[in-house]
Amino acid sequence: MRWKYSANAGFFGARHDRFNQYQPDRSLDEKFALVSQVEGLTGIELKYPGDLDDIQRARELLERYRLELSAVNVNTKGIDYFRHGAISARSAESRRRAVQLLKEGMDIAAEMGVSLVSNCPVMDGYDYPFQADYAQAWGDFIAGLREVTAHRRDVTLMLEFQPHDPNARIMLNNVGKVLYLCAEVGVPNLGSNLDIGHSLAAGESPAESAVLLAGKGLLRYIHSNDNTGDGGDWDMISGTVHFWHWVELLYTLMQTNYAGWIGADLAPRHFGPGEAFHTNIMMIERMTNLIEQAGLEQIQMLLKQDGNTPRIFEKLTASFSI
Amino acid sequence: MNKLAIITAFLGGVRNRYMVYHPDRELEAKLEMASKVIGCEGVELCYPADFSDIKETKSLLDRFHLGVSGINFRSRRTGKWLRGSFTSEITAERQEVVDDLKKAIDFAAEMGCNRITTCPLNEGVDVPFEADHVKMWDYAAETLTAACSHNSKVKIGLEYKKNDPRTRVIFGSAGEVASFCHWLDVDNLGATFDIGHSLLAQEHPAQAAVLLAKTKRLFYVHLNDNDGFWDWDMIPGTYHLWEFVELFYTLRKLGYEDDWYAFDVFSKEVDQVETFDAVMAMTRKLEEITDRLEPAEVEELLTERNPVKSIRYLYSLI
Repeated sequence: MRWKYSANAGFFGARHDRFNQYQPDRSLDEKFALVSQVEGLTGIELKYPGDLDDIQRARELLERYRLELSAVNVNTKGIDYFRHGAISARSAESRRRAVQLLKEGMDIAAEMGVSLVSNCPVMDGYDYPFQADYAQAWGDFIAGLREVTAHRRDVTLMLEFQPHDPNARIMLNNVGKVLYLCAEVGVPNLGSNLDIGHSLAAGESPAESAVLLAGKGLLRYIHSNDNTGDGGDWDMISGTVHFWHWVELLYTLMQTNYAGWIGADLAPRHFGPGEAFHTNIMMIERMTNLIEQAGLEQIQMLLKQDGNTPRIFEKLTASFSI
Repeated sequence: MNKLAIITAFLGGVRNRYMVYHPDRELEAKLEMASKVIGCEGVELCYPADFSDIKETKSLLDRFHLGVSGINFRSRRTGKWLRGSFTSEITAERQEVVDDLKKAIDFAAEMGCNRITTCPLNEGVDVPFEADHVKMWDYAAETLTAACSHNSKVKIGLEYKKNDPRTRVIFGSAGEVASFCHWLDVDNLGATFDIGHSLLAQEHPAQAAVLLAKTKRLFYVHLNDNDGFWDWDMIPGTYHLWEFVELFYTLRKLGYEDDWYAFDVFSKEVDQVETFDAVMAMTRKLEEITDRLEPAEVEELLTERNPVKSIRYLYSLI
């Protein structure tokens, strides 16, 4: 395999949307069993609170199924006291709890021997105009992250931006705000988990976002997936919609010598999670192969020229002919 | 003036992919809540949920003095029809949905509202090459024609919506419903015009309303608002103030003025009665602004097509 692949364990259990439930509820043991059967997956991302409440149990499962913990995913969703916000909430008590939860996640990561904690701050947002006091919310957001990252420097907190859901607007809704936030907080152990679907839903070219993050040393993790670009975070198999954007992203990761994990958030609805994650890996490997066939240096050379589109696509599609 | 109704499903537990908001409630509790909402005159009932005992449903409606704007036929059900019902590849499923819809049509006749609305959310696809689009449209034509022929007095409104849970639902815009109905040429098949869904399809609601009316398919109106990215089911006018005023003005011109507006507004952290109080008040405020429009002056402005003058006039009203 060209990349190190990991799966987010949550996607191997029951999934909901507004209208339906897909996939049965599964125990952590069952999730591990399914993940371990997927060819190419060597890592697993686990949630706290939840999967990592019993560290000893998680350790045993990782060992038994020969999987590496790729990152600890701290979940601030679905908890009643975060309904009006977490790190940026008006309520000092909610802010305190969010900061505490992230610190605990960092301690667990260190104890498990990993240096990465991921958090998607979806509860920090708003629906209506005049709902949020933006100055207060951003001030508390920055202060909270300073406190969390100061807790220990040997673990990096990776923020995962997402445009919306369940809030109509999430504060951290695009790559630009991640760059701003990391600069404001100004510590070495704050970085980013770039979810490709979120970047597409935010109307970005993920390759460009990856370059901007990598340029500041902030690109620490990738969540692979795809969507239709209508703003919905459909968690589809990578390359099924934005094929060329994905190829461009992989080229960028190769160019910037990305050596981190390629995790995945995939929501299989009408087929099994194992099939979805395996197909996702095969697609990414195939797309990577396409770049190798075209030649990294050749692409690099063409990128230096104006009006290069016809030649780039001629190069990239050369291997399509039989 | 149109009467105002709440869709019963929005008075119980609602969910998105991350969260569950508010407890599930029995019909009695939902209707009691609706009766407490200032300005609410009725409900849109959901089938099958609200029809386990029609006598009981009727007596509850009487007790709480609520009218019925229509019956919402669920073409998605827990644990089945996940790949569509009207357009399912499985013949037995298509037959099953038609048979079930006929029962709902009978209820609509019995309740006297003579109106069914259905949002065909599972009818669609996620990825290229997922399904045979030729067959899907043919199945939709076949099943909906069969259901409509059951009772020509009951109107069936297709509540188009671009996506969710499918990345692309088969009926995504006013144009798609209008041309589908034109193809089928069945008089009692038309559109439920949900303003949030219209905004999601990047339509100008007033423009879409006229197309539906011209093709005789403007059967029913649902009001809510969103940011144009997603079907957030928000309070009308909180994002698209002037679009709503234009819509109300246009609906009056089209003769949709002695009917119902039904609301699907998703209340998350805020109490549902409090939210719907705001929904009713906001809707009547938007109508008050509409009342201030002087038709002769507006028509002259529309003929002149000078947006600067039109906007100045609009701002003189608030």
